[in-house]
Amino acid sequence: MRRNGYRARAVALHAALIALSTVFLFPLAWLISTSLKPIEETMKTPPTYLPTHFVLANYARAFTYGGDTLGFIPFLVYGRNTLLIAVLAVSGAVASNAAVAYGFARLRWPGRDLAFAVTLATMMVPFPVLMVPLFALFQKLGWTGTFRPLWVPAWFGSAFSIFLLRQFFRTIPTELSEAARIDGCSEWSTFTQVILPLARPALAVVALFTFMAVWNDFLGPLIYLSDQRLFTLSLGLQAFQTQHGGTEWNLLMAASTIVVLPVIALFFFTQRQFIQGIAVTGLKG
Amino acid sequence: MALRRAQGLVGLIIVVAAAWWAEAIVRPRAADDRIHVTYWEKWTGFEADAMRATVDAFNASQPSINVDLLTVSGIQNKTLLAVAGGNPPDVAGLFGPNVAQYADDNAVLPLDNYCRRARLTRDLYVPVYWDIGAYRGHQYALPSVPASTALHYNRAMRARAGLDPDRPPRTIEDLDADAATMTRTDSHGKIVVSGFLPSEPGWWNWGWGYVFGGQLWDGGARITANSPENVRAFTWVQSYSKRYGGTNLQSFKSGLGNFSSPQNGFLDGRVGMVLQGVWMYNFISKYAPEMETPVRQWGAAPFPHPADRPDLAGVTFADEDVLVIPRGARHPDEAFEFIRFVQSRRGMELLCMGQRKHSPLRRVSPGFYRRHPNPFIRLFAELPTGPNTVTPPKLGIWPEYQDALTNAFDEITLERKTPRQALDAVQARMQPKLDEYLRTRRLRAEAGR
Amino acid sequence: MRPPRREALAGALFVLPWVVGFSVFLLYPLLASIYYSFCDYSVLRPPVFTGLANYRALWRDEVFWIALRNTAVYAAWALPVSAVVAIGLALLLNTGVRGMTVYRTIFFVPSLVPMVALAVLWQWIFNGQVGVLNDLLGRVGVRGPNWLGDPAWAKAALVILAAWGVGNAVVIYLAGLQDVPRQLYEAAGLDGAGAWQQTRHVTLPVLSPVILFNVIMGIIGTLQVFTVPYVISPAGSPARSIYFYAMYLFDNAFIYHRMGYACAMGWILFVVILALTMVALKLSERHVHYGGI
Repeated sequence: MRRNGYRARAVALHAALIALSTVFLFPLAWLISTSLKPIEETMKTPPTYLPTHFVLANYARAFTYGGDTLGFIPFLVYGRNTLLIAVLAVSGAVASNAAVAYGFARLRWPGRDLAFAVTLATMMVPFPVLMVPLFALFQKLGWTGTFRPLWVPAWFGSAFSIFLLRQFFRTIPTELSEAARIDGCSEWSTFTQVILPLARPALAVVALFTFMAVWNDFLGPLIYLSDQRLFTLSLGLQAFQTQHGGTEWNLLMAASTIVVLPVIALFFFTQRQFIQGIAVTGLKG
Repeated sequence: MALRRAQGLVGLIIVVAAAWWAEAIVRPRAADDRIHVTYWEKWTGFEADAMRATVDAFNASQPSINVDLLTVSGIQNKTLLAVAGGNPPDVAGLFGPNVAQYADDNAVLPLDNYCRRARLTRDLYVPVYWDIGAYRGHQYALPSVPASTALHYNRAMRARAGLDPDRPPRTIEDLDADAATMTRTDSHGKIVVSGFLPSEPGWWNWGWGYVFGGQLWDGGARITANSPENVRAFTWVQSYSKRYGGTNLQSFKSGLGNFSSPQNGFLDGRVGMVLQGVWMYNFISKYAPEMETPVRQWGAAPFPHPADRPDLAGVTFADEDVLVIPRGARHPDEAFEFIRFVQSRRGMELLCMGQRKHSPLRRVSPGFYRRHPNPFIRLFAELPTGPNTVTPPKLGIWPEYQDALTNAFDEITLERKTPRQALDAVQARMQPKLDEYLRTRRLRAEAGR
Repeated sequence: MRPPRREALAGALFVLPWVVGFSVFLLYPLLASIYYSFCDYSVLRPPVFTGLANYRALWRDEVFWIALRNTAVYAAWALPVSAVVAIGLALLLNTGVRGMTVYRTIFFVPSLVPMVALAVLWQWIFNGQVGVLNDLLGRVGVRGPNWLGDPAWAKAALVILAAWGVGNAVVIYLAGLQDVPRQLYEAAGLDGAGAWQQTRHVTLPVLSPVILFNVIMGIIGTLQVFTVPYVISPAGSPARSIYFYAMYLFDNAFIYHRMGYACAMGWILFVVILALTMVALKLSERHVHYGGI
């Protein structure tokens, strides 16, 4: 009796979860399905759920759209730009946040806890408040129209990552660094030789988050970049979407897939860190 | 330990290389001794191709200047920001309506002296195209590519509805009647095919008042958004919502594909008549070649006028792309050399033929129209020479004014407000803005003196 | 123990990047934006002090109020709907059902889709005439509205879109749920509490700090909503129904070139966020349980 009850419950749960999974996956399936349809089929009513025949050429067209006139293949160039910014921002974020978080987590200095509280409070400042003065600042520096506003700040730490790494560093037993000190290690080599190797998972999480933020960023590139050769993928996709009052839907979906797929692929390779990272950062709020 | 150090070194090299590469992409170095003039172009696609061909022709025509073309998005804002940052291009290809805002902000160089030396005068041009670049007694911009609008109609759809395919409507009343005849609805009253909709594609939603003899600004201290003519125009716009239902129209519109696709309503035969510019032919030949061959299925004619206002016949919205020299440009003289090349008949026709537009110059070379692929090019060239040629008000606050009008248009098509209410709201919003704008402009002028 | 002086010096050196970053990229812009907000500042001319003029003009600016109201309405729907969906999914996943990691991955993946792509994709799904959503609704006998073309439904569409991307909140909640001590459930079970009562009296209280954290992050994020509506319609059409606060701020700064006005808007936003966060913290005092239950 009880056993049957459990089984019924399990069946019901799976049914619910499968139904919900379908709901969550459907839009992505629709994205890919549309991206492979011939143009005549995209606006059919009722819609066809699978393409009657697969038009892989949509991808070739989306990739090279405007390439003949711009003298390059836009989406490859956008991808390269995005990756360059990501490499610079990610390395900067990992290096700077690790050091700063170490300073907050493992060293004692006057005013530390107050400074950390202030750091946490900065997470509340909305970007639109900073937008205008930051723009003016970068303009005075002559940085608008370059990639610098999009990656240089990452080298100076961010509250969220500092917080995340600090929490992690505090879980490393102090005996380890004490031992290093007794061996005569400087603070810097304790940090690089003892702490950093242990902190790899946390650093990976910071790297992933920074990468995601760069990949996702739209407002930053929109404000700072004007030359189409310098566009990132997000900005390039938007420009593609608005070209001449809008382009074919199947090409738009193919271009969107080009922007979406790398992130999802990255996720599948780094799944464990990703989920762990999100869980860790959220919990101790 | 050594391994870790090696890893660190590799990481460092990657970062430095990436930074170096990122900088190199931003500022490509030219390896010749010509003077490099940067030109910011807004278009992509074949329009950019035509400009590129013109730039190439200029570069080949002389040994000392090289124009580097960059494609820039949001050019109307980005150029101003670049001027403010002190790093503008040498030439920018703005839109005509931007001239006032730029001149007000002192962001572009007056070209009067250059024009005088190069003997460029108004009488070389179709007046409206010269005037778009003129502002408060100075010439700030010269045309690159002009445009004008006309009614585009689908001959086959007219014939199918029992209308004479070759007698497009002359008056607004005819237009409404033809539209009603051509529109087909299904058993639920849902629109399947539309004859005409003021909101499709809706690129001149701010301008319908002009079609009825209205104005948006009196040229002085008054906004005239709620003038009787403007109210009449919006009442006409709303009559379509009243007839078919605002939401019904909206959902019909959302069933149309994007503009630059074969599913554009006019191109796939679901909208019979549209107000469109000279470029429409390009989209027809690209996405709906069957409308061209074997039999031409479309035509273009002057947009209709109200029956009681025959004086408004031949109304057209004129616009143009302009070339300006931003303040702070490093090579203004060389920049003007390029602009001057574009103003020559050869340069201009290379560009305008490439973009398949007419020429802003008064005189064209023999055979220009004959060689021109657009079968209605003469119409587009002649319309803007008439008295009912419309250009938006030359005001620095025009972007905001236009947003307010566009919103008012939405509100009346969705039947959320009466035309009167919507336009009164625009009037109430924009009149204080105009007062403030005129006041600061006066203060600045006084301070400048 | 080594002299604390040396440690303090090392500490200062380690946090130096952040001190620079904080001062240059946060504190300076923050202070500058206060100053600008009291100025007439177009990009091309140096700011001119005009006192409260911007704030007074904002008070009378109809579009400012429309944008503010839109943002408030959107947040008032998006925050609770996303929270309920996320907590619901997390509770379902936390039932010890087999294949949890697979389901978790499925719910998480949508939150990885970059915002611009998200906007493009859902614009297509929501299409009133040929959109797949209305086709699906039609199959179950519901006549779908013209989502993004109808001012009455456009915000609802954005709420649905936000609910689709709750994956990372689900993961956070799930991690929180797995911290709930088993014994609590067992004790509740012995007291004869049903599934709903267990959820209500055991799970949610334990989860409350996580909920608070997510609510605060949600307030901060939602009030800044920009990318998705901007990609769908930069003017917030139809009839400004999806014209949000950050969009009007952006337009003022970069389209109308009224940087001072935009800064004043930014500061008002900051104050609103601060106030709402305080309210959330205050309200939470009674409902959030930290640790020992």
